[in-house]
Amino acid sequence: MFRAEPLVRIRLLILASETPDAALELARFGVFSPAQYAPEALAESSAEAYREAWLEAESRVSKLVERCGMTDPPDIPPGAAAPTLEDLNELNAWLKAVWKTCLSCHESEARIQEELHHLDALEETLSKLERLNVDLAQLLRPDGLLDVHIGSLPVGSVKRVGEALSMTGSLVSTFDHTGDQAYAVIAGPRERREEVRGLLSQAGWRELPVPRELRTHPQAARAWLTEERKRVEARYSAGCAVMDAFRGQYRSGIEEARLRVALGRPLAEAAVAGVRGRGSLAVLTGWVPKRQIRALKAALEDRFHGRYWLDTEEPGPHEADQVPSLVRYPRWLMPFVPLVKSYGLPRYGEFDPTLPFAFTYLLLFGAMFGDIGHGALILVLAAALYRKLGAMAWIGIAAGAVSMLFGVLYGSIFGYEDLIEPVWLSPLHNPIQMLVVAIAFGVGFITLTLLVNAYNRFVAGRRAEALFDSAGLAGLVFYLGAVGGVASLAGAAEQALPAWGLALAGIAAVAVFKWVETPASLGERALVTAIETLETGINLFANTLSFMRVAAFSLNHVALALAVFTIANGLDTAGHWITIFLGNAVIIVLEGGIVAIQALRLMYYEGFSRFFSGSGRAFVPLKLAGAK
Amino acid sequence: MSAYLNTRVSLFAGRLWRRGDFDAVLGVSDAEMPDALVERGLPLLAVGFDRRDHRSLEQRIIAQVLDETRILIRPLSGAARDFLIYWTERFEVSNVKTLLRGKMTGERPAALINRLTPMGTFGRLDVQDLAHAEDVGELLRRLEAGPYAGIVRQARRAFEESQDPFLLDAALDRGYYEGLAHRAQSLESEAGAPLRRLMGPLIDRINLVWLLRYRFNYHLPPAQVYFLLVASNYSLPSSRLRELAALGSVEAVLEALPAKLRDSLEGATDIPAVFARMEAFAAAQATQVLRARAPALCRAFAYLILRERDLRSVRAILRGRHLGLAPADIRAAMYLPAEGSA
Repeated sequence: MFRAEPLVRIRLLILASETPDAALELARFGVFSPAQYAPEALAESSAEAYREAWLEAESRVSKLVERCGMTDPPDIPPGAAAPTLEDLNELNAWLKAVWKTCLSCHESEARIQEELHHLDALEETLSKLERLNVDLAQLLRPDGLLDVHIGSLPVGSVKRVGEALSMTGSLVSTFDHTGDQAYAVIAGPRERREEVRGLLSQAGWRELPVPRELRTHPQAARAWLTEERKRVEARYSAGCAVMDAFRGQYRSGIEEARLRVALGRPLAEAAVAGVRGRGSLAVLTGWVPKRQIRALKAALEDRFHGRYWLDTEEPGPHEADQVPSLVRYPRWLMPFVPLVKSYGLPRYGEFDPTLPFAFTYLLLFGAMFGDIGHGALILVLAAALYRKLGAMAWIGIAAGAVSMLFGVLYGSIFGYEDLIEPVWLSPLHNPIQMLVVAIAFGVGFITLTLLVNAYNRFVAGRRAEALFDSAGLAGLVFYLGAVGGVASLAGAAEQALPAWGLALAGIAAVAVFKWVETPASLGERALVTAIETLETGINLFANTLSFMRVAAFSLNHVALALAVFTIANGLDTAGHWITIFLGNAVIIVLEGGIVAIQALRLMYYEGFSRFFSGSGRAFVPLKLAGAK
Repeated sequence: MSAYLNTRVSLFAGRLWRRGDFDAVLGVSDAEMPDALVERGLPLLAVGFDRRDHRSLEQRIIAQVLDETRILIRPLSGAARDFLIYWTERFEVSNVKTLLRGKMTGERPAALINRLTPMGTFGRLDVQDLAHAEDVGELLRRLEAGPYAGIVRQARRAFEESQDPFLLDAALDRGYYEGLAHRAQSLESEAGAPLRRLMGPLIDRINLVWLLRYRFNYHLPPAQVYFLLVASNYSLPSSRLRELAALGSVEAVLEALPAKLRDSLEGATDIPAVFARMEAFAAAQATQVLRARAPALCRAFAYLILRERDLRSVRAILRGRHLGLAPADIRAAMYLPAEGSA
């Protein structure tokens, strides 16, 4: 829980023909994170073609599944084998044919819809032309001097088309708009008909089919339109029936395809990190928890009966940056993990701060927002919103509970300071004591962060930094000495001389280390050493004072409540209680929010920045979705 | 913010190449080429410059342009920022054309994706999804549901009617440049004359070169040629373009151009020469805007125009060398005067 699980690098050599099954077995195993560590002799990207074929199959299956409305993931039986490259190619050919059938059904549906829109437009056209009293038969005569088109085009093109058509001696007249389509009549000399047609096809023109009936008698045209609409609607129903039949006919095949795609996923995903090979040999490389190596060997033996070679190797201290971090947390700690991850992932071997984060964050929140009533409300609200917030609600519940606990210690309930006796102390009546406690807490917190940082550096093989750097043990010696010196000056201790001596020794060690570590000219070296040594002292001093905000916010909480009471006491009974209610709401939302952020800021800035690199890489295992 | 952008553009302007730089790169040996490119601020092109992979060279050039554009748009907001971002989108429109051609030839998705220009943070297309479309029809419908719907919708209709890939490309190009001209127009109230000085030569060049190609190489009828040009209000407004499209030869078109444009094209007799002259004119305008006290957006746009022109010239040199051409031939292909001449 305090650091990532020890991992070993594995190289699994297998027959190239069994690579898909090997990847599947590793995915079933559940804790193999692929990474590229293949020997140079095995340099061919042997799974590249597999991944390519799998991606094509996956894309087609996804589209078909979407069209057929299959939502549940496929059930993967325990003994199922992964498809080979040949299987995937075969599957792709089948899926391509099925998808094309599906696509043509979909296309014809879209066309029928367009035809229905056209019929609507035609009906509109008819009524408009009737009102214009135009003799359509005359206008649309195929042997006339005029070549006439009726149809639609995008509204944005009308002007341009009109200008272009004027070059052919044609005219455009729009008579209606629907959406982004303009309906128009185009008339021009018949001898330039082909030129006009070429232009119109470029302009997205859609000709409205004007039947012979429409050209003769309006009543006959109406009858034709009704018949035509019935015919198109019948085709639409037939199309739907075809689609239903399609779903029925291919459903089981598509389910089978989904299963095969799911079984092929592990190798396709491992190929991204790089599955290498040569000839009939392939190698899968990556990371596995050290304690599960024996189980992995047993699983491989069970599946491949000796037809494999498993090579394991522990990472060296200088490889920490390349090793992913696999950290397991108890369930109750999980809600706090995202807050730590938003800063970064612990590097392999680095101290994982999630547990101390959880405790310290809650402690700081409670100390700054200690109130039995407000804490209870936060607790109840978080519990009520559990469905919406999920596991994160537990942070609210815990924060509310700790706030209530501090409310008991402070003797504060909904801002009333005199209803119950404080078990410990009242911030309003003991502000100096609160400040001293806050700074003492800060000293303890910073001491802890310096110790953890020294540990992290030591584990990473940077021993000189662990011992002598400003954030290492030398920095800690200086800090503790300086704290002792200041405490003696304030009269809290009688150890001024040894304390300042300790501080001097610590800062001298830091300065010597900076001098040695700075590769620069003499002057620059002196400057860097002086500035960085000075910065060490200033930073530690400023960071410690930063914890005064804990006391300040606990006082602020009381002060806000006092302000609310002052306003409320100047009003009548109704106004009094409305003000109390609204004031408490403001305190919970506004101050609660600020305190939550301040506690997070203290953790990130005064804590994590000192010891937590957060530069770890996530352990992403191959997984098999839907496995039984 | 404009002070910051102005300073940034001035710093970037130091990266632009002078004539001497092209001459120097034309003259160096293969062994000296990486250093010569690094010295002149093109480390991205220096790595693997001798690879005969034109696609990779193109991708690295575009990566360089996108990288610099990303830095320049940082202090911009609103319409000015949108304009420069839209300027990069022509690379993505080019990706759309690659996808369409790939689907027409039945290219495998993985190979197709490899040929696309990586757009980095400027990318708006889900290329994985699009590359896995089954055919052109499905691809166009998917594109129509994406950020380029406006450009693609009309192109799809044109393609469905004609099934002609050339007309599809032409419709996409026209849609893109009309969008650019439209965006520039909305900025002209604040960026004013300098922006017109940049946009005018750009759109006029596109219109004139397209007009000549469509009319005399592809023999399209005048009305269709006119329809495929970009509507604009620069030196070649719509009425003039209609007149030009109706003419019967390249010479007649060049003769009928406005006097200023005709003078700048004097001696050009073929379409590549017209293109080179107009591009040189546009570059001269961009150089003046870059040196003048123009709005920061215009200076940034001018820099990007000049930078891209430089990079295309470097590409021409590298390709010419890959093909084993003599420096004099490369120079001629780039319309550079002979070394030592004025």
